[in-house]
Amino acid sequence: MKRFFTIYGFELKSYINNKSFTITTLLLIVLLCAGTFLPRFIDMSDMLGLDKPTNGSAASDDTSDNSGASSDSSNEADSTIGLVDETGIFKDLSILKQAFSDTEIVTMKSEKELKKAVKSEKISAGFDVKDDLNYEYYVLNRNMYDENQAIFESFLSQVHQQIYCEQNDLDYASFSAGYDAPVNCTERILGKDAGDNYWYCYALVVVIFMMIILYGVMVATSVTVEKSNRSIEVLVTSVDAKYLLFGKVFAGATAAIVQLGSVLLAALAGYSVNHTYWGDKLDMLLKIPGSVLAGFAIFGIGGFLFYAFLYGAMGALVSKTEDINKSAGTLQMLIMIVYFIVMFQLPTPDSTIMKICSFLPFSSYSAMFVRIGMGSVATSEIVISAVILFASTIAAGWLAAKIYRMGTLRYGNPIKLSTALKNLKNN
Amino acid sequence: MKLEVKNITKSFGETNVLKGISFSVESGKALGLLGRNGAGKTTTIRILMDVFHANSGEITLDGKPFDPRKVQIGYLPEERGLYPKRKILEQMVYLAMLRGISRKSAVINARHWLERLEVLPYENKLLETLSKGNQQKVQLASTLVCDPEIVILDEPFSGLDPVNSQILQDVVQELIRDGKIVIFSSHQMSYVEEFCEDIVIINHGEIVLSGHLDTIKRDFGKDQLVLSAVDMPPEDFADLLRTKLADSVHITGQTKEDVIVRLNEGVSRQTLLRELSELSDCTIEHFETYKPSLNDIFVAKAGE
Repeated sequence: MKRFFTIYGFELKSYINNKSFTITTLLLIVLLCAGTFLPRFIDMSDMLGLDKPTNGSAASDDTSDNSGASSDSSNEADSTIGLVDETGIFKDLSILKQAFSDTEIVTMKSEKELKKAVKSEKISAGFDVKDDLNYEYYVLNRNMYDENQAIFESFLSQVHQQIYCEQNDLDYASFSAGYDAPVNCTERILGKDAGDNYWYCYALVVVIFMMIILYGVMVATSVTVEKSNRSIEVLVTSVDAKYLLFGKVFAGATAAIVQLGSVLLAALAGYSVNHTYWGDKLDMLLKIPGSVLAGFAIFGIGGFLFYAFLYGAMGALVSKTEDINKSAGTLQMLIMIVYFIVMFQLPTPDSTIMKICSFLPFSSYSAMFVRIGMGSVATSEIVISAVILFASTIAAGWLAAKIYRMGTLRYGNPIKLSTALKNLKNN
Repeated sequence: MKLEVKNITKSFGETNVLKGISFSVESGKALGLLGRNGAGKTTTIRILMDVFHANSGEITLDGKPFDPRKVQIGYLPEERGLYPKRKILEQMVYLAMLRGISRKSAVINARHWLERLEVLPYENKLLETLSKGNQQKVQLASTLVCDPEIVILDEPFSGLDPVNSQILQDVVQELIRDGKIVIFSSHQMSYVEEFCEDIVIINHGEIVLSGHLDTIKRDFGKDQLVLSAVDMPPEDFADLLRTKLADSVHITGQTKEDVIVRLNEGVSRQTLLRELSELSDCTIEHFETYKPSLNDIFVAKAGE
């Protein structure tokens, strides 16, 4: 065990002495921490959709309600919409102007004129209304978030109702009051609100994915470098290969935890001090419950170690650092697939596929903590998944140490994983 | 302390690399492993160091199974390698600690060997900043930093200039004087002759000659003589011997000036001397016992 710690210390020192590691970590800590203090010194109320602070005081918590509409509509402020009323059904355009607030409504005589104005970008869009149930919408380039049609259809529907009431001798006011009676709802969430938890789960999935890819390659490189500089022969004749690989992987894990942990801590601590200045706008990202952080830590560390061992084995299959991508390609593909599955399933954390993924060792590091954060998962399931993950990690470490030892003096072309496994079986 | 290698065999796939290698070496002695490229020297050393496992055979230390991680061994592999981007002292201490030496002793040992090998001023430099010769010295110092009982050096003189070679020779002789077991492989016979009491010549995975060097030399030179004649090239002299004295000697070799012959069975030196003096067409210039160099023995045995 003493030798394991010798290796661990030596390898860890190589991370700490690496200037880019230290500078990047410190820079991220300072930037993130300083970033959380920004609203104290800079007026960010426009960006955050808050009331302008008065006398330098912090934005109060209850100012968060007036966000959406005003900021959305501000984008439309300088746009103009054209309207052709072919059958003269619009007697009063004030309701339409209200619906399209901050947008100028320009009436036009013909469809041709409307088209020309859209093409020449004099107006951003236009409606050619055939009658109260038919219209054509003209726009040059439709953007993903274009809501003009939805707003206009709601307005046209209202016009249609008015016309219908007139034609059938009905009182529109009483019809409207009965037809559009408001529905009252009081939301009571007994479990978790995915809407609240989505963004920090999303961010943590990205973070753990990046950490595994980044540090996994570093572990593989540290193994390959010893083959490349030929120091491996002295090492494996001095100490058991298991200690060498475990020392490297645990040093990599420590460096990753220190880097990620300190950066995350800086951001969370900075925000917790300044959250009122942010109007709690970043709660969705930076107010992470302890249970989710604990789940992230347990499954993140387990997943990291699992993949780091496999990366170490991949590093042992090649003797030049430039060949690492060749041997680690399949592993990286697996990590990417897991990442995309979890990302696509993020809105439905209790789906069957997420349930399966949360028990498989190569995906549980991500899927299980998403379920902890956003879904409903029993404690027993968490324990079983953690046991599977850590048992698999030990098995991966054992296998990786065998491959590492087997690949010691195999220089030249990369060894195929299948060949390595065959050799292990034969030995 | 006695290290014994008993009948080890090793094959890689269909190729039999070692076909029953046996030798032994004791404390305070050096064993030279000799052989041509690809003969099996490095494989033998790697099996000793447990880098490879032998297919059969046994290695013992004082009669007990040998585990290279349980004895202090200084190993200089054929493929030299340290960490180019780490400080010299730091990596030497690391390597010593991997062998179970305490940090304090490791630092003392590292400084001792760096000083002995005249590279102490570079202890806090990165290895890659040193010249190739100094890197070799650091490699040797790293080999010895664990204060080994057994020193195994695979081609230690390769790449060393004459001055550094002399330093290494002095160090090896010190190790032998200090009672260490020294095993080394080399192509440079002069070094082997200088340190080794025992040699093993391996050819195509088999031992073709082994034993005490003096005995080998004596046996190899037994009944062989070095002859030359006045004003006669060795080729002509050899032809003369073949035609006129074929019943007494046969030619075993030839140098630039001399002919090497072996006495046929039942022929004495006096008889040959008399027969030579009776030769009318030549005058004998040189008649002495053949003392083979290790190089001669190596070429004769490994060149077969």
